[in-house]
Amino acid sequence: MSALLEQLARRQLLWHGNSQQAAYQAVSSGSPELDQQLAGGFPASGLIELQTQLGIGELRLLLPYLQQQHSSGRLLVLISPPAMPCADMLCAAGITLSQLVIVTAKTGKEALWAAEQCLQSGCCASVLLWQAGLKLAQARRLQLAAEQGAASLVLLRRPSAGLSLPVNLSLELKPHRQGLQLSVHKRKGGWPGSAFVLDMQSRWPALCFTADAAELPQRKAG
Amino acid sequence: MALYLYLHFPALQCDSLTDSGQQSLPVAVVDAQHSIVQLNAQAAAQGVQLQMSLATAAALCHNLQLIPYQREQQQAVLLSVAQQLYQVSGEIAPDPPAGLYLRVCNMLQLYHGLDGYRNALMAELKRLPYRYAYATAATPFAAKCLARQQFNQLTADHSLTDAALKRSPLSFTELEADLQQQLQRLGIDTLGRLLALSAAELARRFDNRLVSYLGRLRGEFFHALNYIRPEPGFSRYLELLYDIHDMAVLSAPLSKLLQQLQQQLERNNALCHQLTLRLYCRDSDTQCISIGSAQGEYRAANWLKLCQLQLETNRLQAPVYGLQLEVTQFAPQQAQSEDLFQPQQGNVSALQLVSLLQARLGREAVSGLSLQNRHLPEQASGRPLPLLQSQPGAAALLQRPAFLLPQPVALRETIEISRGPERLCPDGWQLAAQRDYFIGRNKQGQWLWLYRTAQQQWFVHGLFS
Repeated sequence: MSALLEQLARRQLLWHGNSQQAAYQAVSSGSPELDQQLAGGFPASGLIELQTQLGIGELRLLLPYLQQQHSSGRLLVLISPPAMPCADMLCAAGITLSQLVIVTAKTGKEALWAAEQCLQSGCCASVLLWQAGLKLAQARRLQLAAEQGAASLVLLRRPSAGLSLPVNLSLELKPHRQGLQLSVHKRKGGWPGSAFVLDMQSRWPALCFTADAAELPQRKAG
Repeated sequence: MALYLYLHFPALQCDSLTDSGQQSLPVAVVDAQHSIVQLNAQAAAQGVQLQMSLATAAALCHNLQLIPYQREQQQAVLLSVAQQLYQVSGEIAPDPPAGLYLRVCNMLQLYHGLDGYRNALMAELKRLPYRYAYATAATPFAAKCLARQQFNQLTADHSLTDAALKRSPLSFTELEADLQQQLQRLGIDTLGRLLALSAAELARRFDNRLVSYLGRLRGEFFHALNYIRPEPGFSRYLELLYDIHDMAVLSAPLSKLLQQLQQQLERNNALCHQLTLRLYCRDSDTQCISIGSAQGEYRAANWLKLCQLQLETNRLQAPVYGLQLEVTQFAPQQAQSEDLFQPQQGNVSALQLVSLLQARLGREAVSGLSLQNRHLPEQASGRPLPLLQSQPGAAALLQRPAFLLPQPVALRETIEISRGPERLCPDGWQLAAQRDYFIGRNKQGQWLWLYRTAQQQWFVHGLFS
């Protein structure tokens, strides 16, 4: 019996439930609790989808990951960012500004073209793309380009009830007073978990309200 | 002993037009007197001959493509041929409209004799689309006379060339028509007979044009030649046989020009960073497109890709009848070393990628980011050219937003302030324009960077992300 099993296993006809291989190489996200939820961190290559509102902390979540990604000397590309990126914040996060390229595309088609070129060139570590709509075929094409160039594409878009895309990781981000509330919608080689709160107080004290601060009198602007 | 080679190109303008796509069309070049001066093989096969009148030629061949003779264009083509041959032979003097003098005797040592020289030269000529006839002789005029008769021998044996020279009719010499006619009346119809006469007697009867020609033909008088010098750049013009309306169709003739550029760059072991492409449009202004490559390229295929991306974004206002490709500066080629232990995934370098993006999206659409040592947030982030190595000017400030809005927007919602104020004042301490910055969070959970002016007005200036 065991001989038969061994033979089947050698011919890769047998699947073991307990010996799951990681579907992707993980890069630490900079916070241990998030690493634990994502089984190691963000994928080093392929598509990452973040469903998020603008300005709630989505870039702060990614900064440690992006810094590690492009520490090898490869480029970091921002494609059609929502406003002009600020050098101070990126520089403070340890990103080498000379390895940063900002692409402002006029149309969505041009942005996708630029993303594909950057991904398959092999000289980019990560590409951040702010784009509303993405079709299934386009996502598949970008995924192939990312695999070819060993790069990762972070797709930042508003929460939508559209079809799920073929991505390595899909996260939904919601604002929270102490940081961010994350829920994993999809993770390659894993199960989606329940929503959890990522505490950012230690790292970004200025951009969080402490738990007990709610009772204190607050200044209201307006 | 001096040895000169003369190259005669009978149909330079005609050959420069014909490319592979239009092989089947008979083409002829007509001068101002409406007589055929150049024709291609297809036209010759249909019975058209040189010096034939336009009407006869048109009657013989109904689909004959006629092109007016252009002296400047012919000269430009001749000079480009000379530049190309300069790579194998040192001393070249153009002889407009259709010939080149090459001084061979000084090159023989380099090529170990005439055979080596012949191989190198013929290999170079084979790359060019032009038909040619050639001959060698001891003097430039003798070589020219033989080449025009299509002697087609590269030899240092002067007895052979002398015999051929003596047989040659006067119509192949440089003598003017009236002199030829005078000599003809005397019964002198070949060069041999003319050379047999003594120079002193000829000088008594004819004017000095004949004596000076014969002196230079024999090698007794010095014959000054204007040898060319290599030009630093590259400039080629290509006339199209038919007007092109579509940018996509342009890539075929353009790739021909780029191939020539690649040949020249390879020979110089150089590359170039910038091309200028001029599109000559019918009834419209010339369109000038400059195409850049940050890394520098010499391969025609890579340049073609960049050109196509650039051409796709441009629109043609009028049909194009001519293309000119110009490169003013060559750069030396540098070897690029790659990491041995971390091999590159793709075959595109960062600079090549940037050039590619710039070609399609426009030069201003791709930029880098730099940190300036300025205290006002709108001046602290510079947008230089991408991949520019800049020295760290200042330490990065904490508590700065990820995105700055291009124009501050008046605040219209309730905000919960988290940090502040941080007072910033424009240069010159204009206290009326001072701004107090706060970090705040709105109802949707967005973190905003706001400021309050001295007039107590609130604006949103940035977004933390």
